[in-house]
Amino acid sequence: MPHPRLRNSRRAALPLAAGLAVVALTGCSSSATPSSAPAEDLPQEIVFALKEDPTCLDPQQTSVTTSLIVGRQIVDSLLDQDPDTGEIVPWLATEWEANGDLTAYTFTLREGVTFSDGTALTSDVVAANFDAIAALGASASLANGYLAGYAGTEVVDDSRFTVTFSAPNVQFQQGATTMSLGILSAESAAAPAEDRCQAVVGTGPFVLDTYVPNDSVELVRHEGYDWASTLRDHEGDAHLDSIRFPIIAEASVRTGGLESGEYDVIQDVPYVDEARFGSDAYRLYAKANPGVPNSLVLNTTRGALADEAVRQAISKALDREQINLLTGSLSGSAPVSVLTSSTPGFTDLGDVLAHDLEGAQELLEDSGWSLGADGVYEKDGQPLAFTVTAFYAQDVLEAAQMQLREAGIDLQLNMVAPGDFFGAIASGDYDAVGAALTRTDPDALRTLLSAASPARWGIVDDAELESLLQEQAQTADAAARQDLVDQIQQLVAERAYVIPTLETVQLHASRSGVEGIAFDSAARLHLYDTRVVAD
Amino acid sequence: MTRPEQRVASAAAGGRARAIARFLIPKILQCVFVIWATYTVAFLLMHALPGDPVLAALSLRGGDATSTDPAELDALRARYGLDGPLWQQYLTGFVGIFAGDFGTSIATGEPVATMIGRAFPHTAAVAVFALVGGFAAALAFTVWAYLARPAWMRDVVTQIPPLGIAIPAFLTGLVLISVFSFGLGWFPASGTTGFASVVLPGITLALPTGAIFFQVFSAAVFDAGASPFVVTANAKGLAQRTVVTRHVLRNALLPSITIIGLQIGYLAGGTAVVETVFSRDGIGRLTVDAVLARDVSVVMGVVVTVAAVYAVVTLVVDGLYGVIDPRTRTRLLSAKAVSR
Repeated sequence: MPHPRLRNSRRAALPLAAGLAVVALTGCSSSATPSSAPAEDLPQEIVFALKEDPTCLDPQQTSVTTSLIVGRQIVDSLLDQDPDTGEIVPWLATEWEANGDLTAYTFTLREGVTFSDGTALTSDVVAANFDAIAALGASASLANGYLAGYAGTEVVDDSRFTVTFSAPNVQFQQGATTMSLGILSAESAAAPAEDRCQAVVGTGPFVLDTYVPNDSVELVRHEGYDWASTLRDHEGDAHLDSIRFPIIAEASVRTGGLESGEYDVIQDVPYVDEARFGSDAYRLYAKANPGVPNSLVLNTTRGALADEAVRQAISKALDREQINLLTGSLSGSAPVSVLTSSTPGFTDLGDVLAHDLEGAQELLEDSGWSLGADGVYEKDGQPLAFTVTAFYAQDVLEAAQMQLREAGIDLQLNMVAPGDFFGAIASGDYDAVGAALTRTDPDALRTLLSAASPARWGIVDDAELESLLQEQAQTADAAARQDLVDQIQQLVAERAYVIPTLETVQLHASRSGVEGIAFDSAARLHLYDTRVVAD
Repeated sequence: MTRPEQRVASAAAGGRARAIARFLIPKILQCVFVIWATYTVAFLLMHALPGDPVLAALSLRGGDATSTDPAELDALRARYGLDGPLWQQYLTGFVGIFAGDFGTSIATGEPVATMIGRAFPHTAAVAVFALVGGFAAALAFTVWAYLARPAWMRDVVTQIPPLGIAIPAFLTGLVLISVFSFGLGWFPASGTTGFASVVLPGITLALPTGAIFFQVFSAAVFDAGASPFVVTANAKGLAQRTVVTRHVLRNALLPSITIIGLQIGYLAGGTAVVETVFSRDGIGRLTVDAVLARDVSVVMGVVVTVAAVYAVVTLVVDGLYGVIDPRTRTRLLSAKAVSR
């Protein structure tokens, strides 16, 4: 049977390519120089300053960007995904197909792949990986999300195996391209969760040399690497001999160190410093996180937010262009859907999410709200106020707060630690949460909103939406699924269950003498093609 | 058969040992009490903080995919010994620490003893540098101020050191990095390799430390300078240098030693800022991260370690009193006289 990916990706490609073209034009204007070969007289070594301790190097357990930037170099996945078109291509697996109801996926492994400890990649190792993920439970929640309904892996022979699910699982194919389902050596997969956080062995183009927590990570080239996916620029060994990742928590030290030449690449350039690195001496790397943009995700069972008119008024009162101008990257653009422009399956809903202050006030007045003496709308003596619980992007919420206040809506911020944010999610005790959900598949909306989702943030009682969310998760036909995904985005934006504020852009910078840093489809980095071309 | 003089000698030795024991034992008990009390207060504070330690730890690596499934959280809670009643966790933890078992960090999965063992020397290096450097600078400024003439010049000199504590360490650190690392390239801006990496963070902390030393030291020096024995020494024609070193400084030393314990308390907090600016793996940063992640076992491990260092230093300082301060020494001697 044909791969479902093909039809899916073609449909997604048009709007996505347009969005990326904008990012490429604005973001990478400084990297106009043609790419060149690694300089032979220069050491092929780079220093890449990370913004925080990776805490856990095991990509199956972590979903933190910093950790995955390291993990991506050590661990390969079964499949790879073109970040521009969404097309899924072979990597460690050369062939794959799903059965009609998406409950079984059969893979054929590439020949001759070895882990950096010398052991061979076989079907048994892959099966051990997936079984271990299931056993990790909450410690590998993202990976277990991709493996939802995992029933087991049947090994046919050394290079063929079938992954089976108890219920249709549409996101597994895309999940197989992520690091969450990256393949570790048999020994790593069998190790306790804590040990795997400190050291993992994969088939990737680099090998972990040392990891000193809170200090640095060092990688060396995996000699004999010969199984890069076709999305990479070259074959064989990686260009770099080694990569050192010092952990530099202070942003001004990272930017200063890039200018002084102490670091070759830095992670997470603060948006306010973006202009400093616009010259020809540097390259900027910008990509919007795929998934659900930074948003207010609402609990529609509480207070005024149960009223659809109020929710729509909040959405209309937000001027997303201004929020992007105030708090976003120069390379970014305002969100125009409840999925970001870099997500496969994204649909432009700019008209629904347009800024319309008068329209917002009209909606409120039609719904029985009247402007109080303090400039905030009231109804039955109750002011139109709600609180958003969040653990990052305070500046974005403050911009939203300011705009909503202008419209007569009182938004209160409740900034908490990450653990307390998820504590609130667990108890359902919030009016709204403010965050983004980074996923490379439109199924992110089901994770976020479905009543059946174990990690839902938006509390919504909408049977129509629920059935659409479930249906898209079981639809193998890409065109039919895209149709459902379009309807879902339209419905979620119109009924304002999710109110987008900003597309978060991953923004990194390097000196111009370093080339070949590429984003994968989840906006993490590949350093396989990276090379030093000049001092 | 023992001769009388021998008996007297051994009685005198026993008496002195008893006197020293009488001087030291309460202080050692105090030391143990400080550690126990710090542990208890920190334990109660950590558990009074709102929030679930397991969720906090999971969210560190789970990011936006952190699971909130109650069954899975309970399983992890049981695994990290966070499921029993509070008094049981308190006892297990406390007994464990005295048995040398600091437990495992929920956030990183590393044994707490390993984390502290790795971070402690880095912090100690900076703290010792800051103490020694700060003390030397305070000494230099004090002597300069003492000798400076005319009076307005002395006033100017005494106004300089307080700047060290008025400028936040965060700012000093960043300025030092931009000048000496990024500008001149003399010292690394980050990391913990080699002595060179200690210099800039050490100076950053030596400034406030030195300012505090100067405040105490200069007050004592000026006091001593105005005292009758210095007038006498000057009057009998001793050289200025001899008067300063032998009479003024020696008498002014004691208060400075007293505040070393307090300085260590200050440094324990100050290193958190400096270790962030200079990207050093150290106790301060470890503590901040652990508190944010509600990582109980790491916080308790660090708290006990810092309390132990503080208590031991205080004990040593108290012991030094007995050696340096003639008054304490006399008390010990008079105790000997009584016992005889």
